[in-house]
Amino acid sequence: MGAAISLQDLSFTYAETTRPALRNINGHIEEGTFVVVMGHEGAGKSTLCYSLNALVPRFFRGEYCGKVLVHGVEVAKARIAEMAPRVGLVLQDFEAQLFSTSVELEMAFGPENLGLPRDEIEQRIDRYLRFVGLADMRRREPASLSGGQKQRLAIASVLALEPAVLVMDEPTTDLDPIGREEVLSVADTLRQERRTLLVVEQDPEVATDADQVWLMREGEIVAQGPPRQVLTDLDLLERCGVQPPPTLALFRALNWPGQPLTPEEAIALIQQHGLARPRPLKVGGQTADGRPVILDVQDVDYIYPAREVEALKGVSLQIREGEFVALIGQNGSGKTTLAKHLNGLLKPTRGEVLYRGRPLQEIRRTEIAHQVGYVFQNPDHQIFSNTVREEVSFSLKMAGLDEKTIRERVAEALEVVGLSGYEEEVPFTLTKGERQRVAVASVLAAQPEVIILDEPTTGLDYRHQRNMMEMLRALHRRGHTVIIITHSMWVTAEYAERVIVMKDGQILLDAPTRDAFAEERILAEASLRPPTLLRLGNYLGTSALTQEAMVEELRSL
Amino acid sequence: MNIFLYLDENTWFHRLDSRTKILGVLLLFCMAMVFNHPLYVAGFALGLVWLAAAAKALPNFWRVRYLLFLLVAFSTLLWPFFAKGPTPLWSWGRLQVSRESLLYAIAMGLRLASFVGAGLIFLSITTNEEFTQGLIRLRLPYPIAFAFSTALRLVPTFAGAGATIVQAQISRGLDVESGNIFQRAGKFIPLAVPLFIYAIRHTNMLAMALESKGFNPGAPRTWYYDPQMRRADYLVLALLTALFLGMLSLRLQGYGQVLPRL
Repeated sequence: MGAAISLQDLSFTYAETTRPALRNINGHIEEGTFVVVMGHEGAGKSTLCYSLNALVPRFFRGEYCGKVLVHGVEVAKARIAEMAPRVGLVLQDFEAQLFSTSVELEMAFGPENLGLPRDEIEQRIDRYLRFVGLADMRRREPASLSGGQKQRLAIASVLALEPAVLVMDEPTTDLDPIGREEVLSVADTLRQERRTLLVVEQDPEVATDADQVWLMREGEIVAQGPPRQVLTDLDLLERCGVQPPPTLALFRALNWPGQPLTPEEAIALIQQHGLARPRPLKVGGQTADGRPVILDVQDVDYIYPAREVEALKGVSLQIREGEFVALIGQNGSGKTTLAKHLNGLLKPTRGEVLYRGRPLQEIRRTEIAHQVGYVFQNPDHQIFSNTVREEVSFSLKMAGLDEKTIRERVAEALEVVGLSGYEEEVPFTLTKGERQRVAVASVLAAQPEVIILDEPTTGLDYRHQRNMMEMLRALHRRGHTVIIITHSMWVTAEYAERVIVMKDGQILLDAPTRDAFAEERILAEASLRPPTLLRLGNYLGTSALTQEAMVEELRSL
Repeated sequence: MNIFLYLDENTWFHRLDSRTKILGVLLLFCMAMVFNHPLYVAGFALGLVWLAAAAKALPNFWRVRYLLFLLVAFSTLLWPFFAKGPTPLWSWGRLQVSRESLLYAIAMGLRLASFVGAGLIFLSITTNEEFTQGLIRLRLPYPIAFAFSTALRLVPTFAGAGATIVQAQISRGLDVESGNIFQRAGKFIPLAVPLFIYAIRHTNMLAMALESKGFNPGAPRTWYYDPQMRRADYLVLALLTALFLGMLSLRLQGYGQVLPRL
């Protein structure tokens, strides 16, 4: 088999920047192999993807040296439209990729551009919709699909061009666990068909299945090789801001033999070497029962007026002072709708929400901001100022505080999020992780008792996810009540004290974190599963939630 | 929120060629202009309702029922003061209302409602893409038609983002409902800036996705939807043209008018 992709000394610097995004990239991908690219935010992963279908240097201009060959065609000399039938590109943001009013027209767009005859287009629509399991959705409007379905449609619409190479840039980042599985199973089928596949991915468990893993750092490729070789170099992973495979990290810390990359491998090794004896799991974690109730949700129903869909059905819930709660569940299960009731953004159709015994509807909006803060998922939905200082002081100015208090509070909020000294920076030029922090600081400045965060770690790399969560833990220690909505199971396990699982607008499970993750069957009903480490923990019967605690627990056995 | 009015049914009207739909709705607009006697216009409006029922577009009429009602009501109330007729009914200083001007006002209300109704029927049976396709077949250059259809498609996307932005700023204490007009204008900035930036980012992403799928507005391309003018289409257009000419000749003979104006 010949080379599908060959990168020769590729360097690229975006116009109007000085730091090269890619530096001396060399690589060789055989036809029919599956490559996973990993690395920190800004490592050049996306730029690498764009350089394969001529978006770099045709769409993004800049200084380009070196050579990229895809099936013998030199990319830099081709037009993007010429590359389209050779290299398919699926972007992370599936919303931005879909623009037609029906699924079949979305599918037809690529083949139409190629000038294919009508019956050929018809065949391709049919073939690739079936391939991704969306054959019944032909007449649907893309906007009405779930996240996983949208991303599968985006993949299918690219496959309809029948490219020899498929490139996917973080295709699962914005998806819930079931959406991830859906997309990954499509990737799996593609592999079985021996198509060349290059995927940018954060999750080490996905990388385990790859033929090759490329590790990127600061625009360079620092390691290339089979997963067993690359993913076992924990120091290097750490330096690249990539999450190490949790089971392997655990085995290393315990000095156990073997290099398990998945819980299944770990269990096999434990049985083979008799490393530990599984025991029944003792649950019954601590609850916050004695403390005063801050937020009291009483039998709330909510119906979205425009769609007449019942988004919440009889939800009752009490949040107590100083809790750290994670709301988890599939896209569309009602997590965000519930959270928006907690600061009065939505008014219940039936039932009531009380803040310290007072109905939220009776409290003025400007006042609520100082009691229950809400950080939206995308920081770009709220940043509008020219300087970080102005941005963070917004809610204080709205409340009419004096100049001196504002100055102090801004400084304090920025210190908490680790952005002291950024006061005069322009927020739009910061990285995604930093912008997220600005958004948190701007909510924190109002000093709310409760702080709600919608997907605080989505779109951040492992290192930034850790930083963000450590910051929330610090806030929690200072006495804030923290509520997060998240897709990330390991974040939930390591940081939350209490887990609320939502399904179809109802609370399916509400328990202390370890207890919740022991309920694998109930979680599966909500299309969730415990994080890697706790799947092993459930087998071994350990009650630890973090790697460090688990090491200690297993040592003391 | 769904701002598109298209209803995915499979009626005889849905199956018409998009050119027929576009020209047909233009003819209906012309017809609505012909008479100004309320009985005649009401007859035409009833005809439209029958058409809407046959095209299964009535749910959309129900959706905008308040708008239709307001159009008729306001027009009936206001027009009498602007149109002068020979038979005075009531007067107060320089303001006067005549029998003819009142009838004319009712007719104008029905005419406006008919415009909206004809447009609604069109939007209920035509998808965004069909509309674009129709425009292209009527000789509009592809890049313009594509830009037009994409702009339409992006409206709900931006409306959704706008709603999120409003909520995000409200949770930070932005009070959009109080203050005088200048204060309110100032409060617009925290909403407008993120929306502009979102729009720019989104459009840039969309451009990348389109180019990656081989989009090239100048190059020849094929169409998956390939509408054909069939006998039914020519029949519909002929029928509507005949109807329009018939109505026009009635009006020219003096039927269906209360005042000698449009």
